[in-house]
Amino acid sequence: MNAFAGTAFLVRFDLRRDRIRLPLWVIGISALAAYFVAALRLAYPDTEDLRSVAGFADNPAGVMMSGPGYGMDDPTLEAFVANQYGLYLLVAAGFMNILLVVRHTRGEEENGRTELVLAGQVGRRAPLTAALVTALVANAALVVAGGAAMTAAGVDAGGAVLFAAGFAALGLFFAALTALVCQVCEHARTATGLAAAALGTAFVVRGVGDVLERHGSAVSWLSPIAWSQQTRAFVDPRWGPLALSFGFAAVAAAAAYRVVDRRDLGAGLVPPRPGRDEAAPALATPFALALRLQRGSIAGWGTGLALTGLFYGSLTGSIAESFANLPEDILVLMGGSTANLVDGFLGLTGYTMAFLASCFAILSVRRLRSEEQSGRIEPVLATATGRAGWMAAGLSVTALGVVALLALAGLGTGLGAAASTGEPIRVAASVWALLGYVPAVLGVAAIAAALFGLVPRAFDLVWVLVVYGYLVGSFGPILDLPGSAGALSPLNHVRQMPLEPFAAGSFVALVVLAALVTAAGLAAFRRRDLRSA
Amino acid sequence: MNTIVEVHDLTKTFGATTALDGLSFQVGRGEVAGFLGPNGAGKSTTIRILLGLLRADGGSATVLGFDPWRDAVELHRHLAYVPGEVNLWPSLTGGEAIDFLCRLRGGADRARRTELVERFELDPRKKCRAYSKGNRQKVALISALASDVDLLVLDEPTSGLDPLMERVFQDCVAEATQRGSSVLLSSHILAEVEKLCDTVTIIRDGRTVESGSLAQLRHLTRSTITVRTDLDASGLAQVEGVHELRNEHGHTVFEVDNGHLEEVVRRLAEYGVRSLESAPPSLEELFLRHYGSDRQVAGVGGGR
Repeated sequence: MNAFAGTAFLVRFDLRRDRIRLPLWVIGISALAAYFVAALRLAYPDTEDLRSVAGFADNPAGVMMSGPGYGMDDPTLEAFVANQYGLYLLVAAGFMNILLVVRHTRGEEENGRTELVLAGQVGRRAPLTAALVTALVANAALVVAGGAAMTAAGVDAGGAVLFAAGFAALGLFFAALTALVCQVCEHARTATGLAAAALGTAFVVRGVGDVLERHGSAVSWLSPIAWSQQTRAFVDPRWGPLALSFGFAAVAAAAAYRVVDRRDLGAGLVPPRPGRDEAAPALATPFALALRLQRGSIAGWGTGLALTGLFYGSLTGSIAESFANLPEDILVLMGGSTANLVDGFLGLTGYTMAFLASCFAILSVRRLRSEEQSGRIEPVLATATGRAGWMAAGLSVTALGVVALLALAGLGTGLGAAASTGEPIRVAASVWALLGYVPAVLGVAAIAAALFGLVPRAFDLVWVLVVYGYLVGSFGPILDLPGSAGALSPLNHVRQMPLEPFAAGSFVALVVLAALVTAAGLAAFRRRDLRSA
Repeated sequence: MNTIVEVHDLTKTFGATTALDGLSFQVGRGEVAGFLGPNGAGKSTTIRILLGLLRADGGSATVLGFDPWRDAVELHRHLAYVPGEVNLWPSLTGGEAIDFLCRLRGGADRARRTELVERFELDPRKKCRAYSKGNRQKVALISALASDVDLLVLDEPTSGLDPLMERVFQDCVAEATQRGSSVLLSSHILAEVEKLCDTVTIIRDGRTVESGSLAQLRHLTRSTITVRTDLDASGLAQVEGVHELRNEHGHTVFEVDNGHLEEVVRRLAEYGVRSLESAPPSLEELFLRHYGSDRQVAGVGGGR
């Protein structure tokens, strides 16, 4: 039988299963691109404004978080958007493709559905091909929708299509790379993790490369993100760099096919090792289990946040010089005057890291829900374990993780800042500043816990609250977002130390509120039925 | 107290769906009680209510003298539960999951745990994510059987086990009752219930349709008689209590209501009996009588 038999059928099937999800991704990314254009046109009506804001980004931290800086000497609105915000859209496109391919290949295989499919008149290569074709369709849609949305927002159509083609090229690269990773790893989670790590590496390598040299160094060109940014969309357009993305995508896909042709269904290339035959004596309580299940995630997040802090902190030395000529409205965001620029910068980065710690908190509380939905909760609650005790055990691990993460982020920032400014006091100050966010992040966890107890189906609303709150809190003054809704996020009620003084009142108030909201969630969970999927 | 599970007029709805509609039954101490019904009859819902995982909308349920919703934790010290669909933590090994669940219940018999792992031929060093459905079920069974409890609640416990492991399971249940445990076991496999259970409750659409000991239930049903006679025995069809008389390979085969057996045997002698076989009523027939008439027998495999 032809190894590709049934591919067309599977493509239709994959597209049907993604008929809600993929349009959301594509429209979301396209709309965001158009939104940046429209909002920045309002925020910075003339070239002078753009030039001064572009100057603000012209430092290592700014370059790390933006692009190679084409056209930033005399920026047009669209070149500014491409350089400053293109990176985020690229990362989003990368994630869209990673999740898509894992979902349709290893994810299906791991839960046994591929076995059913392959038992029909379907060739060995068909599921992989269908996933790649689905990715191709999604990325093509991204070019069309992204190009159209930006053109509608008033930029040159040719440039808009090239800019959007950059998303699609990076997307396809990661679709093919993920396809390969999925053939090697036995489990979907591992595959997602590895592919995301590759995306993270691409992000860092591109950043470092562009910091080394304006408009990109040789290091930049090692990263697929750079290939999309090097099209110089809206400045001096060229399509050449995208050929690299397509070429490497083809190589990765070919390698994935080679593995598919050789391996057993369900197997990876790396066989799993046997583990313990008896549990460690400590694994005797729901708390111990929750800690055991989350220790890897806490360690990963902790390392990531410590490194992020170290990176931000090490930039503080050069902040004062490079930011001296900032436009007035940016200065407001950073503390109001050149005298406390460093404190303002550290306050802002602390806020960002507290936001990241909130993301961990939400994911950690979300485990309660996945334990319930998967039915793993049932054998546990059928023992002498009370519901409130079980939930409180999970939340305690969340709380521990939050404190550890914030302390590590503060430590990283402090060490970086102390090394770069020569002021040892920065270590203690930064740790203290980040720990100031503990009650707020616990507040986020509390809201998540209350949703889990009261309306588990609406759990993901907590994301909206926190992400929107973060956008208001960090970009609000620039993008002109309505601010009142951001007040719902606990993060926006913390003083940004070290810029602002510690406020014991709001600290205590947040702790009390978090405790009350958590208690409501616990009480509700004791009263409701368990729901398994 | 000789009744350890007492369910009376239990009701439960999920939105527009009625899962339980006035269910009643009892389980006596030391009994192996079977809970029989097709898929969707409400077996798992009932068990989840008995464990306090779901809250009944109406009626009453008492387990070991406890209200399962109010006194869930206290009740759970005395029972062990094996869910129908066992899901485990992918990153734990099977051995870790067994020990963890045992410890939450208050400890287990170490020697028995080791013995059960061997008898069920489980590799406890594998990660749970690598286990098949049957192996996940073994993990839950080992953890339940290794604990000393008053009541074992087993929801379709053998649905993933092969016939050899089913035998091991049956032996283990027998040993558990010898230790003094009672067992409540749900199943849609008649052969299993017939082999294991002292009493059976048959449920359908959330209601009890038949309840009692196997002997009592058999009394309500028919035996199958296969005879070879010198004379044509088709006249027997006229006798009261005889049903579905037919000729198969020179034998006369018919069903007879157990209440009319005596009369039928007397009349049979008139035809000159050469050979006679009588098959006792199986639970399967009992089951088909309740499900087969006005609805397709969904999910009733009739044993494996």
